[in-house]
Amino acid sequence: MAHSFFSETTYSDFSASVHDKAVAQGLPVAAEIELTRHCNLRCGHCYNGPPKKEREMTTDQIRRLLDAMAEAGCLWVLLTGGEPLLRSDFPQIYLYAKKKGFIVSLFTNATLVTPQIADLLKEWPPFRVEVSLYGASRKVYEKVTGVAGCHAKCLKGIEMLRERNVSMELKTLVTKDNKGEIAQIQRFARERGLHHRFDAYINPRLDGSREPCRLRLTPEEVVALDLSSPARCDTWRQIYKDAWGAKIDLDHVYACTSNQWSFFVSAAGRMQACLMLPQPSCDVLRRPFLASWRELVRAVQGLKPANPGHKCYHCEMSALCYHCPAWAALENGDPESAVDFVCRSAHLRHHVFLEKGIIAKGGERYAEQDQANIPEADVV
Amino acid sequence: MRLDAVYRRDPDIVFRKISGECILVPIRRRVGDLDNIYTLNETAARIWELIDGRRTLAEIRDALAAEFAVPVQEAERDLLEYLAALRACAAVKEGPA
Repeated sequence: MAHSFFSETTYSDFSASVHDKAVAQGLPVAAEIELTRHCNLRCGHCYNGPPKKEREMTTDQIRRLLDAMAEAGCLWVLLTGGEPLLRSDFPQIYLYAKKKGFIVSLFTNATLVTPQIADLLKEWPPFRVEVSLYGASRKVYEKVTGVAGCHAKCLKGIEMLRERNVSMELKTLVTKDNKGEIAQIQRFARERGLHHRFDAYINPRLDGSREPCRLRLTPEEVVALDLSSPARCDTWRQIYKDAWGAKIDLDHVYACTSNQWSFFVSAAGRMQACLMLPQPSCDVLRRPFLASWRELVRAVQGLKPANPGHKCYHCEMSALCYHCPAWAALENGDPESAVDFVCRSAHLRHHVFLEKGIIAKGGERYAEQDQANIPEADVV
Repeated sequence: MRLDAVYRRDPDIVFRKISGECILVPIRRRVGDLDNIYTLNETAARIWELIDGRRTLAEIRDALAAEFAVPVQEAERDLLEYLAALRACAAVKEGPA
């Protein structure tokens, strides 16, 4: 018999190894479950839009889904919304997922965190709670979220989680309304020892409305936001360098590998490759889980480029671009099209990064950049 | 350790088989830190299953010897070695389930 019974491996090594195997074997190891489409906030940028009357999965249906996912070898589960804490059965669902041995994360706006929820998360720790913080001041936060009184609730929720040492990160979607408070939000996070990230990419609504798009920054502001963060510039530089010379996938419209190891289940129980891609989908409540998964992967992988000559497939700036075919389908009705806002941001980023020596053509870095040489923010 | 002893698994540690890897996932506060993951080899995974709060260590040893076709002494040595490691991280406790 083997004598090395068990080995202690770091989480990141383990995660990388499982993901590699999942892609090779076509296994669904990670899931996002949208517990509800409803939200107590009314953010103008939200992809969900105003709440609709829609049948949502019951507690029992979610339990059965989690059973099937565990059986199929799924390990990571993200509970999201809408606002997942709106569901009165959230504690039961969360605890059920934990006791099945899933590694559970939670996306929330934190305004509905109660001492009971915070105690639950302390006793049964999530892998991570990600809290959306839309402004540093009450005025801006409530302008973004459209609900009076919710700023104080959000801060209180964050504090309750922090007091209990729940693993938590803050994140901000940057819009025209809160772009002036990013530095303050970062300071808020830093003072509390919390990691904070942001991005400025606002999608159209899933119902096709372009209403959220009016809150987008300009490409100039997006790139200025990049330049405000040395760590972000460094990440772009590395991505650009790594991508240079990589093979272009002209066999699949949806070339990202995540659809080979992860999936999204909507509040109504439809399994999709991701949140942004409503079709193809299948009813995971009525069909066997693994059959649904395999059918979905086959359908997504079976979508072949109709226009392999399209500029996005061959663009030298693609590594600096948020181009996503699902987003393009939502924005333009065609997954093989460019999203103008994303495209213009990438072109500008490429131009500015070259000019400032953050990247070099060919993916090679110029002389090692001292972080101090990366310009300070001029967004706002 | 007495071979007539019975051990039970900590209910706050869940055994999962993911992409062919057998792992132990701690789910409750005192073991919730996921800096490290314990992956089990085939023998360890089988021992974890057999520690059910009913079987004695002697019964588990005999089952291992039969299933893996190894001498009883070797199975016993491996069982006790692994059990000591599991006790050290409080993954098992003595006594019936």
